[in-house]
Amino acid sequence: MTTGTQSHHATGVLSPGRAEPPDASGRGWGSVLRRAAASDIPRHILLALGAIVMLAPFAWMVFSSFKPDDEVYSSNLLPRHPTFDAYQRVFDTVPMGRYFLNSVAVTGLIFLGQVLLAVPAAYALARMRFRGSKLALGLVLFATMLPMQVVAVPLYLLFAKAGLLDNRLSMISPFLASAFGVFLLRQFFLGIPQNVLDAARLDGASNWTTVWRIVLPMARPALTAFAVFSIVSHWNDYFWPSLVLSSDNAATVPYGISAFANSESNDFAAQMAAATLAVLPLVVGFLLAQRHFVRGLVLSNTPD
Amino acid sequence: MGAYVLCGPFLLFLGVFSVLPAASTVVLALLDWPLAGGNARFTGLDSFRRVLGSEELRQALVNTLLYSLFTVPAVTVLGLLIALTIHSVRRGKVFWRTVYFLPFASTLAAMSIVWKWMFYPERGLIDSTVGQLFGVTNWLSDSSLALPAVALVGVWHQLGYAVVLFLSGLANVPTAHLEAARLDGANAWHRFWHVQWPALGPTTVFAVVISTISALRVYDTVALMTEGGPVGSTSTLSYELYRRGVFYQDISGGAVISIVLLATVMLVTLVQMRSFGRRLSEAGAR
Repeated sequence: MTTGTQSHHATGVLSPGRAEPPDASGRGWGSVLRRAAASDIPRHILLALGAIVMLAPFAWMVFSSFKPDDEVYSSNLLPRHPTFDAYQRVFDTVPMGRYFLNSVAVTGLIFLGQVLLAVPAAYALARMRFRGSKLALGLVLFATMLPMQVVAVPLYLLFAKAGLLDNRLSMISPFLASAFGVFLLRQFFLGIPQNVLDAARLDGASNWTTVWRIVLPMARPALTAFAVFSIVSHWNDYFWPSLVLSSDNAATVPYGISAFANSESNDFAAQMAAATLAVLPLVVGFLLAQRHFVRGLVLSNTPD
Repeated sequence: MGAYVLCGPFLLFLGVFSVLPAASTVVLALLDWPLAGGNARFTGLDSFRRVLGSEELRQALVNTLLYSLFTVPAVTVLGLLIALTIHSVRRGKVFWRTVYFLPFASTLAAMSIVWKWMFYPERGLIDSTVGQLFGVTNWLSDSSLALPAVALVGVWHQLGYAVVLFLSGLANVPTAHLEAARLDGANAWHRFWHVQWPALGPTTVFAVVISTISALRVYDTVALMTEGGPVGSTSTLSYELYRRGVFYQDISGGAVISIVLLATVMLVTLVQMRSFGRRLSEAGAR
């Protein structure tokens, strides 16, 4: 049932140019336009008021992270004598660099593995007929609706018995088979014209070559959306790391700074500095590529 | 032959890390299998009796449902209102969309730490503004205010998602219909009620169902702002799953909570689709 609506929206990702609302048609005469623009002002004010609430936590976080010790508990929003001391304390106490490297490695390897596994599978499920393909598709749809929380306990037991808790392997392997990735890519592959595939076959291309040389380059819009979805959701993930991690060893940024916040529970400014560092990469990425972010995160937001 | 080579590796991983674990949840719930070592022992329905009868689970279930009741309607209604406002302005649509979407794109674990301090008694931003105005202070230590506080953060985080969904829904309303309504002399309210709202039916169903599913799984804010407290007043199913299954190493108990969580998500989604899903989806098609 959910899938019906999902496919409806998932296909939306793939038709470029639909996400941008068309501008209401203007009337043309300068004075009419100006009056119309003027009538927008109350709405801009309303939106700005809401924006203050939406952005207040970010402002409070950044400003507080630059406060020196003696200003931390003052009610002023802005620091009077801004300093990097809090950042210094974060770097002196925890290996922030390692957290970032771990996050980059974990999210990067998950995405790479997901693409390597999902692209051929999605192609086979979209364009080839074989015994058991209906069952395989059914399993994929079932898995897209399965929340991580439901499989977390058996997976935790599996890694605990194998002695692989607190290890990069346990951080990466559960996410390598992305049912959602297969679902999204399959939708896209269904739309590729048959004559493109026939031409490849006539040129003697094997299935393997067709998938990576011909189909994959065509799938860039779907792949970009999936990349944003995968990277952002695993960069931000806190649930699974909080189950399997217990040291700095394989700690990703959300886990690392949360552990830091628990151990330095009174150092408010340093916690804000750690949070600022954690939020910065995604916020910068989002501001640089907000169109891709919006597409990847909204049109493909389903339980992973 | 070729198809199995293309599909095989993916299906192998899917089987090992999703399908088999999902199926084994039921088996694990029937066993007593100590993590430290030792053989598994069949215990039948003991774990179900122990967990389903516990006050912790009842509280977690009630809190999870309350949390969804607090957040989903607020996210949907505010999301629609903000999207309508953004859609109606001539300039700056992308700018406002970016602003409202920012919380959804940021790391919730980090922002939970920030919100925890915003709720800090007296000195936090909330107590020094809202608290001063309305006299409601010290939210996170108050067992009746802690869940609303966590829900507030949930609304803040999910709102941008709904805004963007509704904006793309509004962009797909045929301009010809709106123009026709305008020529017929329909005012802004009539244009919304008779043209835009029916066309938004499928978007609304999608927004409600998806934000309910993510509300029923709420974890990060609870784990980092309140750890389920005070006295269990913010414990949710996902958090109880972690607390019992991992923190107290009660694997079979954790498995029972997984089943309860899955059943809750499926039941609530089903009820939503039955009660208003079909009606709103059809409204969109008419």
